Amino acid sequence: MGRKEDVVDIVVPELGEVEEVKLVRWLKAVGEEVEAGEAVAEVEADKAVFVIEAPSTGILAEAHVSEGGSTRPGEIIGRVKPG
Amino acid sequence: MRTVLHADLGRIAYGPALALQRRLHALRREGWIPDVVLSLEHTPVITIGRQGDEGHILAPPEELARHEVEVYPVERGGDVTYHGPGQLVLYPILHLREAGLDLHRYVWNLEEVMIRAARRFGVEADRRPGFPGAWHGSGKLGSVGVHVRGWVTLHGLALNVDLHPDLFPLIVPCGIAGARAVSLSTLVGRPVSVAAARDAALAAFADVFGANLLPVDGEVVARWTG
Repeated sequence: MGRKEDVVDIVVPELGEVEEVKLVRWLKAVGEEVEAGEAVAEVEADKAVFVIEAPSTGILAEAHVSEGGSTRPGEIIGRVKPG
Repeated sequence: MRTVLHADLGRIAYGPALALQRRLHALRREGWIPDVVLSLEHTPVITIGRQGDEGHILAPPEELARHEVEVYPVERGGDVTYHGPGQLVLYPILHLREAGLDLHRYVWNLEEVMIRAARRFGVEADRRPGFPGAWHGSGKLGSVGVHVRGWVTLHGLALNVDLHPDLFPLIVPCGIAGARAVSLSTLVGRPVSVAAARDAALAAFADVFGANLLPVDGEVVARWTG
């Protein structure tokens, strides 16, 4: 544990013909515990809000995109340190 | 062809319909129930989406109270919108992955349902790039607002069938200055009932989603969810 490879990426999934999405809000703060499947962030495109869930249980270690910022499918928006 | 259950809830306040959607969403995610589409008409309500700006509610609180308009912040995409009598609402609770749909295609399909429903009344609506919904010129005939979690949808579409002209001006539709709501009845030139629009929209829904709609009683659906 502790090595960079041990963290799990939080990735915006493929959403179809959507090039850019807006990160509406983080539902967890960096340093907060998350459970696998728990909602961590919301992105919006085309009047649709899509909830991104934690890929594993642990601590939200990194958030790469700020609220209101833009991101895209396939992009890593944060990382979970399992634990 | 996929079977999608259809329940008509008649005229229902926003809160109970939202609670029902959330419970159905949970059951659908867990795989206890198949896809469901709810059809209904809301009592007057303004909802504020995730990108919502309360400043887009133009009416002062006293006026909203006088018209008995409720206000709800909700988890769907988009800005402020009005729902009320004379507007057909469809809330599909669909598993997008199982239906072979992605998010973009799903929103496109909802727009297509409204466009095809309008066509059955001889009205040609279309899309406006960057502004999801069904449009007729600068008039907004229908809106979409969606929430997806675990690839299962909540919220859906609202088609203006015969809106009370005094109520929609309470807001800036979707936050677009200058946009105005337009009703199917106005475009057709005679009153269209919500029931007729519902039948047209459900037929379009079955075509667009390749679904076989199976009617179920709204009260039965409410009982599944306790």
